[in-house]
Amino acid sequence: MTATPGQGGPRSIPFQELALVAAIVLVFVLTGVVDRNHTYFTSFQESAIIVLRNTSLLGIIALGAAVVIIAGGIDLSAGSMVAFSATTCALILVLFADPADRRLLSVGALGVFCGISGGVLAGFLVGTLHAWLVTSIKLPPFVATLATLVGLRSFARAMCEFITRERWGSAAQQININTPFFRMLKEHGVWISTGIFLLLAVATWLVLSRTVLGRHIYALGGNEQAARLSGIRTENIKWFAYCFGAMTASIAGIILMADGSVAQPVNLARGYELNAIAAAVVGGCSLQGGVGTVLGTVLGTLFLRLVIDAVSKLIKSNADVYEGMIVGIVVALAVTLTQVRQLTRSGGEFFPGIRGLAAIPTLAIAAGLLAMMSSANVELLKGRMVLFGVGVGIVTLLVLSAVKLLETQRRQTR
Amino acid sequence: MDRLPPIIAIQSIAKAFPGVQALAGVSIDVLPGELHAICGENGAGKSTLMKILSGVIADYQGEMRLAGRPVRFRGTRDAEAAGISIIHQELNLVEQLSAAANIFLGREIRTWLGFRDDRAMDEAAGRLLRELECDISPRTLAGSLRIGDQQLIEIAKALSLQSDILIMDEPTSALTDAEVSRLYRVIERLRKRGVTILYISHKMDEVFHLSDRITILRDGKLVKTLVAKETNPREVTHLMVGREIEALDFGRERTAGEVLLRVENLSLPWPGHARGWRLKDVSLELRRGEVLGIAGLMGAGRTELLECLFGAASERPTGRIELLGRPVAFRHPREARDAGIGLVTEDRKRLGLFAAMNVGENISICTLRETGQAGFISRRRERNMAAATAERLAVKSAGLAAPITSLSGGNQQKCIIGRWLQTKPQVLLLDYPTRGVDVGAKAELYRLIDGLVRDGIGVILTSSELPELLTVCDRILVLAEGRLTANFARGEATEQKIMEAATQARPVL
Repeated sequence: MTATPGQGGPRSIPFQELALVAAIVLVFVLTGVVDRNHTYFTSFQESAIIVLRNTSLLGIIALGAAVVIIAGGIDLSAGSMVAFSATTCALILVLFADPADRRLLSVGALGVFCGISGGVLAGFLVGTLHAWLVTSIKLPPFVATLATLVGLRSFARAMCEFITRERWGSAAQQININTPFFRMLKEHGVWISTGIFLLLAVATWLVLSRTVLGRHIYALGGNEQAARLSGIRTENIKWFAYCFGAMTASIAGIILMADGSVAQPVNLARGYELNAIAAAVVGGCSLQGGVGTVLGTVLGTLFLRLVIDAVSKLIKSNADVYEGMIVGIVVALAVTLTQVRQLTRSGGEFFPGIRGLAAIPTLAIAAGLLAMMSSANVELLKGRMVLFGVGVGIVTLLVLSAVKLLETQRRQTR
Repeated sequence: MDRLPPIIAIQSIAKAFPGVQALAGVSIDVLPGELHAICGENGAGKSTLMKILSGVIADYQGEMRLAGRPVRFRGTRDAEAAGISIIHQELNLVEQLSAAANIFLGREIRTWLGFRDDRAMDEAAGRLLRELECDISPRTLAGSLRIGDQQLIEIAKALSLQSDILIMDEPTSALTDAEVSRLYRVIERLRKRGVTILYISHKMDEVFHLSDRITILRDGKLVKTLVAKETNPREVTHLMVGREIEALDFGRERTAGEVLLRVENLSLPWPGHARGWRLKDVSLELRRGEVLGIAGLMGAGRTELLECLFGAASERPTGRIELLGRPVAFRHPREARDAGIGLVTEDRKRLGLFAAMNVGENISICTLRETGQAGFISRRRERNMAAATAERLAVKSAGLAAPITSLSGGNQQKCIIGRWLQTKPQVLLLDYPTRGVDVGAKAELYRLIDGLVRDGIGVILTSSELPELLTVCDRILVLAEGRLTANFARGEATEQKIMEAATQARPVL
């Protein structure tokens, strides 16, 4: 230990955060070099703006996800919450605008203030609902927030159609926002969302590491029973955590609405909740609870968005196509890396028994298919894509089989 | 009987867990067809021995012979194949499956097509259950049955395995009187079929009613194997506890002050259990500057009593609790903490420690608000307070920033006691604080408790180790099945008397 007796020095910067910084630098440099246009070096500012915009939006939601996860819970509803708060805000604008003004140009300062407050308040209410379901009705957090994940989006759509029908005479499935204030937000979009993200990150960091509440959040997530028996009102801590999670999503919802000049309950921010959870997990939050940091979450989000952006640069296709796959692989790898240390230390095996054997061809097939698809952009491999894919698949199969063989032998000698 | 070769020969078996020698060179011969009782206090090694016999624990020293042949079980399946079944105190049933499905779990009867044959299993299970005087339908879900019936399902499972050796681990601890007499009849019937039974219990009336021979374990060692007809309950209890009392004595010249805590007719219901209560009409008084000991066997209600006093019980208790003359009814540990009560839990790992936090954070968790203002923590003051506490209790660690899990059990316990001392409690509840703590650290904890009461707080201490209670406490109350059965002042208590009160037969209703 580094600290001397009787002195509680600051925690050393954990492995996870240093590894993430290294990984971010590595991905940045590698992509800059490998990319034929060297976009990251030649047009740094444009690239940075794209990555920053995506990072700050996801990061705001990830901060909320991280707090809920550290408190030992899970919030699956963030994506729907984003849509719900954007719709709520837009509908309040509709009510403030003249019924004839469907572009919402006529909304004044009061309307904008009420719209934004309404969106954030919606987050508070949904968070309270989650906390009530979890602490009083004793629903597992997974079930409670799964219900709102499915329910809120549909609720937002129904509300949207109802209010527009009553106000405008015809039901609309989306609301276009041309209110001057939000147009202004859009023009300075990146800087405002990045600013809000950083502000929120600092505030969250302050709460988690400098306040009693923050320590109690870690205690609750680390050992709920012991926390209760230490006199901590665990129910109230959960209330805070779920409200924080839902309210960060609400803020993201308003930013996203301004950014796209539209509130569209059906498709807005679909799947964001899983990306936010993934970012928190990559950043070192443990789904067991009690472990995680704000810095890690911020770095995890940045890393995730950078990898997605880098792949779209390299493959020269729309980032959306590969986004899910990349998130999946990055999450699995990030958690695997922490497991590998434990697995090798305790003498465990990667491919035990028949179950392990069956996993090997799965991994080989996935590797082969991936190799084949990504070779489409490489000049050298044109026309030999299938061959290349099959080759990579076979090599993977051989390597993993060798690992399996080694493990079997080692166990027999023991 | 003596000329028959033993069906089980246990030869100098030893098993060590980290920090504890659970069994040391125990040898027992079990004769075919006998009912052999195994007696001993909590922690005497009974359960470890049974786990070895039933294949739950596979790595141990020593040898075991079954009908003359040496065996070494690597899992419960090995033991079952060799004809040994165990009925655990905590039953192992899948509550969502039917009685029949539980009996044949893992050995399901199949039709010639390979499908599960539920009808055949139901019929077979029905036959087995009828044989055991159990009139439930084999299709009833196990989870909806009473504990006594659930136990019979486990016995039926053992019968269906054709086991000729049955181990029963305190089978009556959760049964009503009627269920106990039914169990006795079932045991009689099993014995007629030639089944050998190993019966673990510390209830003397049961042991003498049922057994042929009695083996007594103490501190992991074999004390003696006796023929039941040639001994008496007094001798057996004496052998169970009879060890040298440690020379330490901490209670000299303490004087008790005013009454801190008065409890009258405290009862804690136990819904869904045959007994109906966890605690029944418990009354006690704790004075300033005294250590009140609570003795009792596993399941007697020690932990539940402390939880009631701390506002942490699972059910709402009835009765009256007064703290410094004012009636209190805590609904949350927070209220108890604010009123000046602290609880150090028995299950340190599950209910006490924050494993992901360091030593300092574990000490300061209850008193964070006092360090700073407006909800912020002053790290400097937090550190200073924790450092002072750690020094006062002589916590041995690599500093406050060291992970709590790097400390020994005794030092972890000191941190948790320190956590509560920082709240400046009037009453400190210590639930078996020396569990899993080595001998040296125990003496330190005794000295610490002595110092605390001399500083004017009241301590309620529970323990499974009688010498410890005799050493540390000014008065000792004994709980048996949720009731107080004895109240000894220092000097009148002996291990023998406490054990008799703790193993008292269930009160005649």
